[in-house]
Amino acid sequence: MVYTMKSPALLIIGILMLIWGGLNNSGAVDGMQSYLQKSAYSDYMKVKEKFDAESRVATEMAAAEGKPAPEMKMPKSKFDEAKAKQAQLSFIFGGAFVLIGLFSLAWKPKQGNLDYYVSVVPGIAFVLLIAFIVRWGLDPVFANWGKAVKDAGILTWDFAHIFNLNYVVLGIVIGMIVVNVFKIPAWAANGVRTARFFLKTGVILLGTLYSAAELAQLGMLSVVMIGIFVLGSVGLVLFMGKRMGSNNSMTAVLSAGMGVCGVSATVAASPVVQAKAEEIAYTIGTILIWGVGCMFLFPTVGHMLGMGPVQFGAWAGTGILNSAQVAGAALAFDPHGIETLKVAEIFNITRVLFLPIIVLWLAAWYVKHEEGAKKVNLGQVLVAKFPVFVLGFIAMFALSSAGVFAPAGHYQGKYFSSAEVKEDKLLKDKETRALEGELSKMRTPEETKALQDLIAYKKLSTREQSQTLRSVAKIKDLDPLAKGAIEKASKAATHDSKNIRAYRDWIAWLFAFGLIGLGMQITGKALKQAGGAPLIIGGVVGTLKAVGSLIVVLLFVKEFV
Amino acid sequence: MAQFERGTSLSIFVSDRREDFSALIFAFAIAFSVMLIVG
Repeated sequence: MVYTMKSPALLIIGILMLIWGGLNNSGAVDGMQSYLQKSAYSDYMKVKEKFDAESRVATEMAAAEGKPAPEMKMPKSKFDEAKAKQAQLSFIFGGAFVLIGLFSLAWKPKQGNLDYYVSVVPGIAFVLLIAFIVRWGLDPVFANWGKAVKDAGILTWDFAHIFNLNYVVLGIVIGMIVVNVFKIPAWAANGVRTARFFLKTGVILLGTLYSAAELAQLGMLSVVMIGIFVLGSVGLVLFMGKRMGSNNSMTAVLSAGMGVCGVSATVAASPVVQAKAEEIAYTIGTILIWGVGCMFLFPTVGHMLGMGPVQFGAWAGTGILNSAQVAGAALAFDPHGIETLKVAEIFNITRVLFLPIIVLWLAAWYVKHEEGAKKVNLGQVLVAKFPVFVLGFIAMFALSSAGVFAPAGHYQGKYFSSAEVKEDKLLKDKETRALEGELSKMRTPEETKALQDLIAYKKLSTREQSQTLRSVAKIKDLDPLAKGAIEKASKAATHDSKNIRAYRDWIAWLFAFGLIGLGMQITGKALKQAGGAPLIIGGVVGTLKAVGSLIVVLLFVKEFV
Repeated sequence: MAQFERGTSLSIFVSDRREDFSALIFAFAIAFSVMLIVG
């Protein structure tokens, strides 16, 4: 079978992207971009104002000395960076798509690997084009609209913020509209099926962003919460299934899906309980209905209750059934930061790590309740079905925290480095004198040593000393100048990791792409697959899990990260 | 002819395991590229 279709679509998408890149580079769309990128544009205006003033002074000084006006270059603003980034991405992908588009039009495809992989590209281009439109166009339009409606007093709240009309939700909704109203074009069908692959890549790459300290704190919390809710919901489904007279295999496979991590848990548990294809389809349909509902509902409830990233991430990671929808809800809640996604994914991954326990439990339960049940090699099932991308996430975290991919000991994208403190950020004599006057107030030898080192080197030397002095800065009767000096030194030694910024960007794009593709897989037919008893059991357990985890999160989870 | 009919309805890969490993390779390729290019 030959997969590549003769269609100019890929070439057209490539040309459109190149045009967009060219328009951004030439400044022809600056007017439109100043509306879309409002905060970046205000940064541009500030930089321009400062530059104009400096250049006026320099020109006047040069004129007074009888010299020609000096040539000065305006520094780049966030607006310039944002436009350059759009142009760069448009040129890279547009160029690649034009080349592959021309090749596929000229080429006579033959059955084989090359044909299969070339056939995937138009679909990738299609989803990426939607991702560009949504991230660079619709997302800022809705954000500006929501603010404008609130500022004009038409509404007292920002509707775009409360209903999460950001690139994540808009992308999924557009995906759903494309598949259910217009149908996915035949030339794009193969590429759309890469969505899950890109989501998994995003989850693995997310491992680079955690610090050991964050993971230790979140890990403990997630094990306790997930332990209670996973085991609780599996037990409840098994109990309800028995009471409602459902098949043992149906009940067991539904309990894995409702308890652990949706589709992959269902697939992993199915051979152990000898589930039939339609039972797997019912379970996946039930999970899909719940997942889609939760993906849209959770972020709105989260905003209404004023939840923070840790609280919402913990709730989504516990209460939502399927991995992709956990990511969707977390990004919908906090689309321009990765903090909520990070928390939610830790819960999600902890949940997947519970999979072996659940499979063993279900195997024992099934053998006990089903007459003539065949014995299955549990070890083999687990080795064959356990999701490897979870281990990839753990490997990525381990390498990253060892300093391979990100600065060792980074915390939320920032890291400590004394060697990188710039000359102009060193403490001034006035500040060190103020610190000397406070030496007598130190409570421990460590505090005294840290302060003496700060005075001697005019900068912080180690991360430990930085932490020690942070508590010193909280001493009540400390001289305000000394306190300011400690804060200044701490800020000077804390740097933003460019690597982590690049990973965040990659992760945001991978998830945006994956979630638009996910939307294109939510068909009416798939949703109709759930029905009868599985839907009732799923509904009751799903609601209890969502409400129960919300109560626990609101009562016990604090914003400690 | 059927030998090149592959993938599932949700993925271009023949199995979840193949998809997982491909994602793993791709993620590490991104991580190494960022390390080399960005610093």
